[in-house]
Amino acid sequence: MKNVKSSTKQLAFYSPKNINNARSFILGIPITVWLVLIVLVPVLLMFIMSFKQKSGYEILNVFTFNNYLEFFKNETYWKLLLKSFRMAFIVSIVAIISGYPLAYFISRRLRKFRNFFYMLIITPLWVSYLVRIIAWRTILGNRGLINTALLNLGIIKEPLSIFLYNQVSVVITLTYIAIPFVFIPLYTSLEKIPNNIIDAARDLGASEFNTFINVIFPLSLPGLVTGFMLSFIIALGDYIIPAQLGGNTGIMYGNVVWAQFGGAFNWPFGSALGFILFFIAAIVLIIAQIFGSKEGIFVE
Amino acid sequence: MRININKDNKTYIKNTINNDGNNINIIEDTTIILKERKKFKFSFLSFYSVLIYLFLYVPLIVVILFSFSASKSTVTFSDVTLKWYKELINNSGLVSSFLHSIQVSLTAVVAAVVLGTSGAFFIVRTNFPGKRFFMTLAQLPIILPGIIIGIAMLIFFINLRVPLSMLTITVGHISFTTPVVMFQVMSRLARLGRTYEDAAKDLGANPIKTLFLVTIPMIKTAIIGGALLAFAMSFDEIVITYFLTGSWTTLPVFIYGMMRFGLSPQIYAISTIILLLSIVIIFFMAKFTGTKAEELMVRK
Repeated sequence: MKNVKSSTKQLAFYSPKNINNARSFILGIPITVWLVLIVLVPVLLMFIMSFKQKSGYEILNVFTFNNYLEFFKNETYWKLLLKSFRMAFIVSIVAIISGYPLAYFISRRLRKFRNFFYMLIITPLWVSYLVRIIAWRTILGNRGLINTALLNLGIIKEPLSIFLYNQVSVVITLTYIAIPFVFIPLYTSLEKIPNNIIDAARDLGASEFNTFINVIFPLSLPGLVTGFMLSFIIALGDYIIPAQLGGNTGIMYGNVVWAQFGGAFNWPFGSALGFILFFIAAIVLIIAQIFGSKEGIFVE
Repeated sequence: MRININKDNKTYIKNTINNDGNNINIIEDTTIILKERKKFKFSFLSFYSVLIYLFLYVPLIVVILFSFSASKSTVTFSDVTLKWYKELINNSGLVSSFLHSIQVSLTAVVAAVVLGTSGAFFIVRTNFPGKRFFMTLAQLPIILPGIIIGIAMLIFFINLRVPLSMLTITVGHISFTTPVVMFQVMSRLARLGRTYEDAAKDLGANPIKTLFLVTIPMIKTAIIGGALLAFAMSFDEIVITYFLTGSWTTLPVFIYGMMRFGLSPQIYAISTIILLLSIVIIFFMAKFTGTKAEELMVRK
């Protein structure tokens, strides 16, 4: 048996497919150059930068852990990270509460125009990030739509400042951004559930509610995990939305990272903060890969 | 067959035709309650879904409406006007940043098509150790928070002593447009297999003929779809671009600068243009790639 196997291997080595392989390795050169030069080297340089030291307006070529120590010693930073964690968590939960019934409805109840309604959800996904921020500032602002409506209805006498420049406005806008990201993996995993499994559960006497709890929901869990993780990362890493809608109390981790490259001009510390974010995102993505749906992240 | 539901809701009369061909009425009292509950759930779900759709689209509609409002305030809507759109043309900074954006996006998309398509062939058609890891790394620019890519690219260019310019922004955009195109083409290639090309070769076509007459026509729409999606994402990008911008700005960065002085009708007008442009692009993208969920799961 062994001999047969090895001889087929030998044969396979000379088969046309493997000659093509040699050719397609040449095809791999551009993408490998791109990957190394535009993705890996910059991230590596950021990692190296995080061990350097700022002194005045110079960056000293030293090797030090001071930037990371500073993060753990100075409670402003890790407390801000924890706060951002909490906000990102809330965003993901709210996005799932909004997105799950919607994904369920479109994937399992809707018969006509399913693709159209699907596209309606994901169209805002890629477009007009800034326009969506503008929209929410218009709605939540001191002279925004909600305040104007409340004033005109006579419910309030002065415009309320509770809608804009706080954590709530940041969470609302981040949720708005996150819903499509939660929706897609949920939709994919819900749509994949074969109808005969559900019919079987119903035939065996399970009520609709029990079928959902015991059959549909567990099968949609991988999609749920992927959606949660994606929206968590998006919310955690954002700095434009907190800067535009957050005011002083709605500031998030990303803003502090950004500040190190802007006004504070402390690139080594900013890189360390950035790398901490990278590390967290990597852990979240690994969790998503193990427990989430494979289609959610990988396009294969 | 006709069904009349009795007033007590527990029985119903089924008007049907029996074996002899006569019209008869049968009184039954079985599953009507179940059916009614199903109907109720359906309407609750659809009601909930309508709410989410409103949540997603009302903010965008608000922006479009305000762009036509004659009143300069962002609160009251008085008359319909096109004057803000006319003012846009006189805003030279805005016009030039618009042209800059088109330049950047077109260049980034062309580069992405070359890198992404060859890369897709490489990954799908070649077996090499660590392929999954290679793919995971290639996804980093679209999966990681933009702020990390922004920092990493900024440090990369400063190390190379490249001043912040159109070049830095464009390379920054190539980091995420490439995987967008690549994953679109990859999923198409993986789905098609290589049977058609093998058939072409068996029928006597040489490799160049096979490439131009079989392979490229098969993946053409995936390339176009991926390119359109990449263009829409690049045209709108701000999170990475903000780090790489010197005095040469793109449209989103310019609008972001305008927003510092509050929201103006001009901002609504340009937002509306961006919004409609993006929707048109996404519409064509969906036409080219099909709306299969797995193919669309590419994130920013």
